[in-house]
Amino acid sequence: MLQLQNENLLISKTLSELIQSPQLVDRIISDFDYTTFHLTTPQDENNLLISITSKSFKDLSKYNATNELNVIYEEFKTDYIEPGYDYSIQLNLIEISNKSQEERDQIIKDISLLKRHLLAIPFYHAFKVYNSLAEEYTNSGVEPEATNEIFEIDYRDEESIYIQPSFDRVTVIFSTIFKDETDKVFGKVFLQEFVDARKRAVQNAPQVLYSHKEPPLEIRNLIKFKADEKKGYITFVLFPRHLTVQKQDNTISHIQLFRNYFHYHIKCSKAYMHSRMRFRVDQYLKVLNRAKPENEEVARKTASGRRFLST
Amino acid sequence: MVLTNSVLYQSQSLRPYLATVRASLQASLCLEDFSSQLVERHNRPEVEARKTVEALLNPILISRNENEQIFIETSVNSVRLSIKIKQVDDIENILVSKFTRFLMSRAENFFILRRTPIEGYDISFLITNFHTEKMLKHKLVDFIIEFMEDVDKEISEMKLFLNARARFIAEAYLTPFD
Repeated sequence: MLQLQNENLLISKTLSELIQSPQLVDRIISDFDYTTFHLTTPQDENNLLISITSKSFKDLSKYNATNELNVIYEEFKTDYIEPGYDYSIQLNLIEISNKSQEERDQIIKDISLLKRHLLAIPFYHAFKVYNSLAEEYTNSGVEPEATNEIFEIDYRDEESIYIQPSFDRVTVIFSTIFKDETDKVFGKVFLQEFVDARKRAVQNAPQVLYSHKEPPLEIRNLIKFKADEKKGYITFVLFPRHLTVQKQDNTISHIQLFRNYFHYHIKCSKAYMHSRMRFRVDQYLKVLNRAKPENEEVARKTASGRRFLST
Repeated sequence: MVLTNSVLYQSQSLRPYLATVRASLQASLCLEDFSSQLVERHNRPEVEARKTVEALLNPILISRNENEQIFIETSVNSVRLSIKIKQVDDIENILVSKFTRFLMSRAENFFILRRTPIEGYDISFLITNFHTEKMLKHKLVDFIIEFMEDVDKEISEMKLFLNARARFIAEAYLTPFD
């Protein structure tokens, strides 16, 4: 599995099962970045309540998250928010099961993308700001003053995404933490390749910059957590090419998962190293065991009991 | 072509180093049973105990360069051999420490491996007279030499792999942006 998927597989599976045969459920499903979903049937088996909680919701609510999600999940919206969760939708399974296969699939897909839609909100806001700045620029021909508006999302403990729109680009900065020394070193190797990949193979990709420990200038005064050795900052510069109406959905879905993708592959490399070392140790053991003499030769004797002379 | 040349070159310059290690090891692996002179009915590797000065011999330091050295400490009933493995950057540093830690946590399977290296080295072996009685001396030397040859190769392969993987991952991530 090279790419991580945006949709939550467990949700889509559970949903398609429930639509086929409704039953009473109470399931907790987790996703990346401490996101948790809760699927329950509070009253009867035909009414399914799906709730989501996420660390980033506090920041996202500044950008009107609940309303934005209500627009996307128009037909399922409910005023009720489950205690302990940030946002809830209510599904009538009977209604859904009466729909056509395509419509059903679409609904399942939409709902399994709940986390993606949630985290996409500030990106859309930032892209809107970019669009108006870009328009201003084309109309007046004067570079608009850089806004100091930076969209900040604390989506994990001490790890954040910062989005800064400007008239000709949108800068997305990830701060990340490397838990141990190996992660840090592996991370550096990986990020170096991210920086170089653009020069070498994929010219149309966003520009990637990487700084260790020191946050980039744009967000220097936003950093709440103290700088330390474990921190890294990765900057993606999205160009107009990535921000067109056709592309932006794809861009957002893809860039959201950067941190997960990055750390996931660091873990994978570590696991591979481990299996490799295991193999190597077995080989060394074989070599060492060669040093043990074979079972000592039983002294051969003739019938009369005389021994052979060893030569 | 460049690669084969560099491999040839490496083995050419590595060979005298390994030959010296082999000769020194063969000479120092001349061990005999030696009961402790201090505690009755004890039998300790003198090179570790360091209590009986007359049982200790002069240590040998073989060095290819400042990053690759071998330190052989000898005594009447035991030999301690410590290896400094080549590390030129952060990545190799971390790979070597991971690898040696992995090996040393399995020390009981390796009989002659020490659980911790001595100060300043990456990995240590302790060969006592009991080992040389149970195992063939020249095969033990073979093992050490093979280990030394292999470990460098393994580390550089792992490093290459890591770079290749990182490159692949980065490209795979950035391509869908098009």
